[in-house]
Amino acid sequence: MKRKALLAAVAAAVLLMAACGRDEEPAGTSQPSEVSGPVEGEITVWAMGTEGEYLHVLAEDFMAEYPGTTVTVTPVPWDAAHDRIVNAIAAGEVPDVSQIGTTWMGEFGAMGGLDPVPSSIDPGQFFQGAWETTVVDGVSYGVPWYVSAHVLYYRTDLAEAAGVDSPPANWDELRNLAEGAKANGAQYGINLETGVSGAWQTWVTFFWQQGGEFLDPDGETFTLDSPACVAALGLYKEFFDAGLSPDSPSDVPVETRFADGQVASFISGPWMMGIVENAGAEPDTWTVTHLPAEQSGTSFVGGANLSVFADSDNKPLAWAFIEYLSEPEVQAKWYETASALPAVQAAWDEPALATDPRVAVFGEQLQDAKAPPAIPTWEQVAAVIDDQIEQVAVGGAAPEEACQEMQAGAESIGTGL
Amino acid sequence: MIASLYRRAGRLPGSRPARAGQRHEGLVGWSFALPFMVFFTVFMAGPIVAALVTSFTDLRVTDIRDPLNVNLVGVDNYLDVLRSNVFHKAATNTVIFVLVGIPLTMALGLLAAVGLNSGIVKFRTVFRVGYYTPVVTSIAAVAVVWRMLLGAEVGLINGILSGFGITGPRWLTDPSLALGSLIVMAAWRNLGFLMIIFLAGLQAIPRHLYEAAEVDGAGRWHQFWKVTLPMLRPTMLFAAVITGIGYLQFFEEPFVMTQGGPLNSTLSVAYHAYNQFSFGNYGYTAAVAYLLFVAIALLTLFWFKLFRPNT
Repeated sequence: MKRKALLAAVAAAVLLMAACGRDEEPAGTSQPSEVSGPVEGEITVWAMGTEGEYLHVLAEDFMAEYPGTTVTVTPVPWDAAHDRIVNAIAAGEVPDVSQIGTTWMGEFGAMGGLDPVPSSIDPGQFFQGAWETTVVDGVSYGVPWYVSAHVLYYRTDLAEAAGVDSPPANWDELRNLAEGAKANGAQYGINLETGVSGAWQTWVTFFWQQGGEFLDPDGETFTLDSPACVAALGLYKEFFDAGLSPDSPSDVPVETRFADGQVASFISGPWMMGIVENAGAEPDTWTVTHLPAEQSGTSFVGGANLSVFADSDNKPLAWAFIEYLSEPEVQAKWYETASALPAVQAAWDEPALATDPRVAVFGEQLQDAKAPPAIPTWEQVAAVIDDQIEQVAVGGAAPEEACQEMQAGAESIGTGL
Repeated sequence: MIASLYRRAGRLPGSRPARAGQRHEGLVGWSFALPFMVFFTVFMAGPIVAALVTSFTDLRVTDIRDPLNVNLVGVDNYLDVLRSNVFHKAATNTVIFVLVGIPLTMALGLLAAVGLNSGIVKFRTVFRVGYYTPVVTSIAAVAVVWRMLLGAEVGLINGILSGFGITGPRWLTDPSLALGSLIVMAAWRNLGFLMIIFLAGLQAIPRHLYEAAEVDGAGRWHQFWKVTLPMLRPTMLFAAVITGIGYLQFFEEPFVMTQGGPLNSTLSVAYHAYNQFSFGNYGYTAAVAYLLFVAIALLTLFWFKLFRPNT
């Protein structure tokens, strides 16, 4: 009996293996689609986090404008979103539209799960860095919905005490600010990330500003073992070696330590504005500013995109809804509803955005912000980079070694395209 | 069975009805077993075989719409795993966790069981419930409490230490301490379960063995060493096997407390597999899972050899 069962299992395994074998052409369409058809019927939209909570507001506006349509918004928690989308694509049981994290585009695009963007949508209306997050292997699989850019948050009172009156224009000036703030009572001059997933988002600005790129222009070979990488890691390391930045994640969140004057500066996106205020920071003690610049002032662009699934039953309505969400007035309303910064440049002229000087800082930084390459293996490559940042910042590794490790790690993973 | 008795007694005329009866009985038996068989084949054996096949292919998340459209790569995944520096680190951590954690947890569980079985009389139930509570508490709740205990800046332990003028170490963010902190936490979480097992084992030891030992002049220490421990051998085997299986798959503690850091010092093999799965490397993940399976089988074999009954 035992032997028979074993035999059956082996036979099943062999049969399965015999059925394996890759076709030459990868699955998935690769031509921009033409969508035609009446805008009517029903669609389901998945949205995550705060967006999932508030998107129904815009959906109701849309349904009022297009009678005879029903847009159902399903909120999905961020933690579960990635796996739910993978499962939906695998099973073919997809919603029509979903919000997609910018660093997931490569993966879902290469799976063949997303519909290419129709040619009626003009890429030029979006921030260029944001549009690039949608392009996988030359084809765009979504449109940017909202954006974020990392900027510098710093305590103006601590800076003034250290004799720094204007925002730091380059990293040397920021270092002076950090040292001065530390000498004037702050525990740390700056909070640079290490030892957490996503630390690369902070480090990557150092890398780009030194002229670094992840891939060569043809998009096939990693270029991490470069002088730019060594210089960027070296600069990053200096802040840790000098004790200017904490070398491990703290129990106390950075906004609290920033509000208390324990940490004089940090690099993060627009969502921290409200969080810093809620942590009790006095409005006149801090500000945001464009990142210090080296060869360029490039920052990291984040945010989320909107995509239509290849298996959607109602693509005309799905794309119509996305085009509606991309209208400047709707984007401005979305900013007022969910505090999400518009990905459409024209929306920044709307009164809701044009009046706030702090918001203007993000608008300015977005002109000089980039995203990592949209390759299916990005999350894994990013984990390798996170590891090496930690090795250099607190593990005592030399930047040269770490860049070689990054390159070797990335090469063994491949681009996945 | 009954039919064969009849046949042996020679009361059954002819053999045909007997065979029919046997067949009928067999059918009834199979029909009872059928729900389990179907369930097992579809939900257990199927995935196990599929995972084994996956471990010999280059299946990735991008292939998931057409999972048979992949290449067979032989043992490449296994070689990749065995060559990976991160896997080496994870394997080392797991071995340390098992080598230190199992004896520690078993010793603590035995101590609690012996104490409650003989020494402590008052509030016995309170203690039993107290030691067992961590076993049935959700890991999420445990994580919150232990973070409050072990936090470097706002933790209770370091708070008490600072009362004595000592700056406490960073229990969870110092690469040389983090794994140790998690071992202690795991021992605390699991000792209650072993305590229950050992209590049952202790109560099954016949009283007269102790009486005989006492007559022979054995003190309490000798009784423990010469009577209790040998009689607990089968119980120890069970405890070691169960703990070994759990500890080799060490995952929850680093997942909620340290995310494998700092510097991968709390990354376990199971956590490594989890990470690779979320990166979409299904072939590689399956290979790690099967290597872990082999390790568990080997460790269990070792326990059977170690705790084999003396008689």
